[in-house]
Amino acid sequence: MAEPRRFELAISPHVISNLDTRRIMYDVAVALLPALAAAVWFFGPRALLLVVASVAAAVLSEYLSLKFMKRPVSFVLDGSAVVTGILLAFNLPPGVPVWLPVVGSAFAIVVGKQAFGGLGHNIVNPALLGRAFLMASFPVLMTAGWTAPVNRDGDGTYSDTHGIPVVELAGVPGADAISGATPLNVLKQSFDLDSGAGAVELEGDRAGADEMRLKAASMRRALYGAGTLKNLLIGKRGGCLGETSIVMLFLGGIYLVLRKVLELRLPLSYLGTVALLGWVFGGGGWFDGNPLFHVLSGGVVLGGIFMVSDMVTTPVTPRGRIIFGLGAGLITMIIRRWGGYPEGCSYSILLMNLTTPLINRLTRPKFFGEVKKNG
Amino acid sequence: MSKARTFRGGTHPPGHKNLSSGKPIKRFPAPEIVVVPLCQHLGAPSRPVVSRGDEVRKGQEIGEQNGFISLPTHAPVNGTVKAVEDYPMPHRRTGPAVIIETVSEEGGRVFEPWEDYSSHSPEELVERIRLAGVCGMGGAGFPAYVKLSPPPDKKMDTLIINGVECEPYLTADHRLMLENPDDIILGMKIMAHVLGVSEYMAGIEENKPDAIETMRSRGCKVVPLKVRYPQGAEKQLIDAAVGRKVPPGGLPMDVGVVVHNVGTAAAVAAAVRDGMPSLRRIVTVTGRGVVSPGNYDVCVGTPFSALVEAAGGYGEDVRRLISGGPMMGVSLFTDKVPVTKSTSGVLALTSGEVRSSEEGPCIRCGKCVDACPLKLTPNMIAMTAAAGRWEMAKEFGALNCMACGTCGYVCPAGRYLVHYIKKAQNAIRAGMGKEA
Repeated sequence: MAEPRRFELAISPHVISNLDTRRIMYDVAVALLPALAAAVWFFGPRALLLVVASVAAAVLSEYLSLKFMKRPVSFVLDGSAVVTGILLAFNLPPGVPVWLPVVGSAFAIVVGKQAFGGLGHNIVNPALLGRAFLMASFPVLMTAGWTAPVNRDGDGTYSDTHGIPVVELAGVPGADAISGATPLNVLKQSFDLDSGAGAVELEGDRAGADEMRLKAASMRRALYGAGTLKNLLIGKRGGCLGETSIVMLFLGGIYLVLRKVLELRLPLSYLGTVALLGWVFGGGGWFDGNPLFHVLSGGVVLGGIFMVSDMVTTPVTPRGRIIFGLGAGLITMIIRRWGGYPEGCSYSILLMNLTTPLINRLTRPKFFGEVKKNG
Repeated sequence: MSKARTFRGGTHPPGHKNLSSGKPIKRFPAPEIVVVPLCQHLGAPSRPVVSRGDEVRKGQEIGEQNGFISLPTHAPVNGTVKAVEDYPMPHRRTGPAVIIETVSEEGGRVFEPWEDYSSHSPEELVERIRLAGVCGMGGAGFPAYVKLSPPPDKKMDTLIINGVECEPYLTADHRLMLENPDDIILGMKIMAHVLGVSEYMAGIEENKPDAIETMRSRGCKVVPLKVRYPQGAEKQLIDAAVGRKVPPGGLPMDVGVVVHNVGTAAAVAAAVRDGMPSLRRIVTVTGRGVVSPGNYDVCVGTPFSALVEAAGGYGEDVRRLISGGPMMGVSLFTDKVPVTKSTSGVLALTSGEVRSSEEGPCIRCGKCVDACPLKLTPNMIAMTAAAGRWEMAKEFGALNCMACGTCGYVCPAGRYLVHYIKKAQNAIRAGMGKEA
């Protein structure tokens, strides 16, 4: 009799979907490419250099960490370090020196991810932690200068870093003062003028106060103008490298939805909250803000599609995802309106990341057929 | 045609049913040696009442019922008992079996055939179904007579015949509906009569339009269901067909519904109309690891190896041998194991068909949460189980899990989620849930 056949023993299910971790990570990387193209178009080839340096540093740090910890180095190919590298570079001003993303990526991977046990074990988003580290360590480099987009238009739609077209800038008194500022910087300046006006009024200079208030209002009017919003939509404005072209970011988002990688609850609840609160208190007073401006400016679309929906650091339950988006949106808008920074996207996500385990536990879905006791 | 119904959650594994769905059922003669398990049904194994050297007649009781959740076992052939001993089983490591050397296959009619079931009382019919050893033929093997005798305080109003067959590869129920719809419908009517329900229907997935058509042409009410795994799980089938949700830890009878597989219905018909005990079933022998996949009408106790041989033998590269479907089936170390009343399929899968990935770390994507048909959080249960936090695993609903495998199928990291959850279930049931 022939030798008995040998069969492999394993737990069911014996088949598995082809949507694996690596495919998810590389899909996310692919979805970031349109925004990268926009960054190169608006800020020049230097944008590509920064992203490549960041990705290389992330992958190398991942490799060295795994080697050092004697873990399988095959993890380095899972694509997650590539995504972290791209996202970190996307969160930097386009004019920073090349070593900055290298330092940031290394920190993101070594401290933000591998120190916690590697993929799946990190508590906060590594790229955002890397950015927070750079903000704390090199604040001048991170906020000093914003690069204006390359002027290819020659018509009146060209804008400086603030996105307000030249033709509309005429209506803003003291336009020179806002040169080099991002749209959210300008909004913050208008808030400062408003509160300054209050102080001036107390000193008895009513005319001066009125002038300041008028100026603040005209700045906001210019920001909310159709020409500005259009510039924000296509990315003709200053800002972090990958956050400016909203159209391209949404293109990536649509790709991720088609590939069944992006779960829509997180981005929708986050962007929805930003829009709602942008209207409620995102202007100078109450219920006079412009929701569209708040969604299109700053980094909330990059954050909403690629970082609020980062799988590892956000809740797994349907209700938890909505709560996460609400919380991050609320913190973002509080920082934008009253905080020390013009933009609050990345800190809001980092803070909410910390609440993820608690949210998961408190939002367990109702079991199939479960009814409330005595309900 | 009404719109197809379904449940929330679930997934879509590739069907691979075309390997065998077009192959008519072939009657496979009993092999020289049959190994009749005494534990074909869920519950206590039958107690053997024959011993080595005994002559047995086909249909003769060789194991008697041993408790309420138990059934008698019958000889599927005329022959001589060679041994009564433990033997490798498809659904557990080993179990008691009566090994019979086959002499012939004639006869088997041990009960009086009842041409008109309606002239018999529900009690008589339940007794017949019990004595015939009919158990659930969809997979779990729960004694059919128990489901047909609900406690008097439970009011039943609906009987659903399960022809969903949502497991990939399997086509046994499909072929049965095409080739023997009358027995299924008769069995359904008998069971409806027993339960006193006026509403009875068959639930069939839309990927079997010919079966839906055939059953309808015989006057059977059919609920077409969307193709979605695990549409055939009792709770999901009831939810889809009649919109009622069986509570966690509850049974279909709690919502007034009884579900039986199409194979079970046919076995009930044979027991009542023909006076035949449950001795045979339809088995799909398939997978790219067998040369010529097909559907076979085989007697229980037929070794898997004989069936694979009937299907042309093994192909080049067989990696896994599975009893049942690829989502919930059990992988076997040997093909000596016998077919039982609940063996729906024999799968020989090649390296190209089974998962080949290593387990990676959970990336908390939540795909298992979205897909779980019972609305559990498989990744959380697995995580707590891996940490030995049984109490927390229980809080996350570990005990509700029916091991359908949907979570493991969708997991991008290839986590052995079903394994961890089963581990948690065992620990909780063993009383390890109390943390010191």
